Amino acid sequence: MSAVKKARVAFFDFTCCEGCQIELTNLGQDVFLGLLEHIEIVEFREAMSEQTKERIDIAFVEGSFSREADRARLEEIRARSNLVIAYGACAATGGINALKNHTTDYKKFVYSKDANMPHLDSHNALPVSAAIKVDFAVNGCPMDRNEFVYIVSHLLHGKTPVIPNHPVCVECKKRETVCRYHLGDHCMGVIARAGCNAPCPADGIPCEACRGFIDQPNEAALVKVLVEKAGFSNDRAKNKSRMFTANLRSDVK
Amino acid sequence: MSYFFLKESDLKDFVRKLISSAPVIAPVARKNKFVFADLESPDELRLDYDITILPPKKAFFPPNQTLLSFKENKATSAIRPREQILFGVHTYDVKAIDMLDLLFAENNADNNYLANRKATTIVAMTPQAVSGRAFWESVGKTVQPNGHDALMTKIREGYVFEPRTPQGTRLTKSGIFSQASSGQLDEASKCQSEIAAKCPEKLSHSTREISDKMRASFNNEKIWHTASLDCFSCGTCNIVCPTCYCFDVQDQWNLDQVSGARYRTWDACLTEDFAKISLGPAGAENFREERAERFRHRMMRKATYLNSRLGGPACVGCGRCSEGCVPDIADPVKIINNVMES
Repeated sequence: MSAVKKARVAFFDFTCCEGCQIELTNLGQDVFLGLLEHIEIVEFREAMSEQTKERIDIAFVEGSFSREADRARLEEIRARSNLVIAYGACAATGGINALKNHTTDYKKFVYSKDANMPHLDSHNALPVSAAIKVDFAVNGCPMDRNEFVYIVSHLLHGKTPVIPNHPVCVECKKRETVCRYHLGDHCMGVIARAGCNAPCPADGIPCEACRGFIDQPNEAALVKVLVEKAGFSNDRAKNKSRMFTANLRSDVK
Repeated sequence: MSYFFLKESDLKDFVRKLISSAPVIAPVARKNKFVFADLESPDELRLDYDITILPPKKAFFPPNQTLLSFKENKATSAIRPREQILFGVHTYDVKAIDMLDLLFAENNADNNYLANRKATTIVAMTPQAVSGRAFWESVGKTVQPNGHDALMTKIREGYVFEPRTPQGTRLTKSGIFSQASSGQLDEASKCQSEIAAKCPEKLSHSTREISDKMRASFNNEKIWHTASLDCFSCGTCNIVCPTCYCFDVQDQWNLDQVSGARYRTWDACLTEDFAKISLGPAGAENFREERAERFRHRMMRKATYLNSRLGGPACVGCGRCSEGCVPDIADPVKIINNVMES
């Protein structure tokens, strides 16, 4: 086990802010350099100018799939990678980009007279898995860097990382964070996938479910508690889960 | 054992001396709730608390606990108990700790629990306030609080202090205690029954009646389906429960990729993956796949499955699950009374 071969790792970005790549550089020198003892980063646009066309052990793909023109590049990455990891919320679920999926008039409002520029010709923002096979996901907006290290460690040992399939409530309770609902607020933690250690409610803001839903979210009960416990209007309650989880809703088209 | 009395004005000095002798874990305020935490100063102490978010079991069975560290093929135990005083534990929580003491000691003794527990001196407290969902007065009435080292009860002038073990007696050396008078003992006993009567919720049947009827309701799909319609499978009712003791064990490598740690973390049988087991290459099997099955399972565990081992129900009536459940469907009183009336 001591002679773990350095894995060749690359980062690629599609429709996203590249914040998850930046977040990796926030690991700090000790952790980042520690990781470099075990991985060789061969492409990482936010931190180096080299690129590669060689085979890759682990490809981290950031960003959602939102233009047909991106499909060929995704397929090319898949073809030369042993593992493809959806990296961050946009890649894993479509993320916040999918907020636009149920609207048709945003281009006019956002871009005005430039609304018909060709590069704006996008389809629904979808997870990377809508275009290519994805092996694992690093969830979150931004992705959680501790979880990233955990996942990479498991992959280096050929093990399957364990990603929680329970709501954020579990982590709030373990930290004894006072529930947002007990403070007259709302929260999406009841249907959101844990694994981040619930930093947002601990800092006094509701969970927005940036890590996506658990596998079997009780959407009807969510609408009910948003209305009955948090005082939302029915419309607002029904639309609330479009922010990060539009593609995971049962009414997704 | 004799009974002691501590004046209200001498409480802070007593607690200050305890803090200087060992870490003291006691109720403190957090926003509009209370939690058990290491006391920095007696000024933080809130003995007037009604309920804490997590039960005090966390003092020796923490939500995340390292079991061992490893390097290559060598494992090192992480059992390193610290001598500590758990102060101000309400009597219903004492009952729950007593249950865990039994469950962790039987069969394969769990030394990661037992070592920490043994190093903990528990000062119990008659509640001075009841939470909005408490029903501890009417649950498991035949089971008495046991396993604590001393019991404190607030009366008008101060506290009646009843040591139950040599460690409990030793604590009185840290304060200005006098012998309690018979009048003070009477007052303490009156306070105990008065506060019990204030529990806002109540079970209307005996432990045995409830246990039998709950078991008989197992196949009543309508009851469990209806009761769990709004359940998020969030596990809050488990995580805040003083008698829940299930945990999940995982390994984590350090950055060097040759050393790491094995840790356990509280698990929750309401969550979807709790009963999911690996079948190896054949995939996985979940033997409580439906929300209603998981919802039913918790109630069976609390009201009937463990009764013969514990001598009563595995519920102490603290009301934490009722209060913590966002859709408010986890209240054992409502669930049990509904089954009893079915």
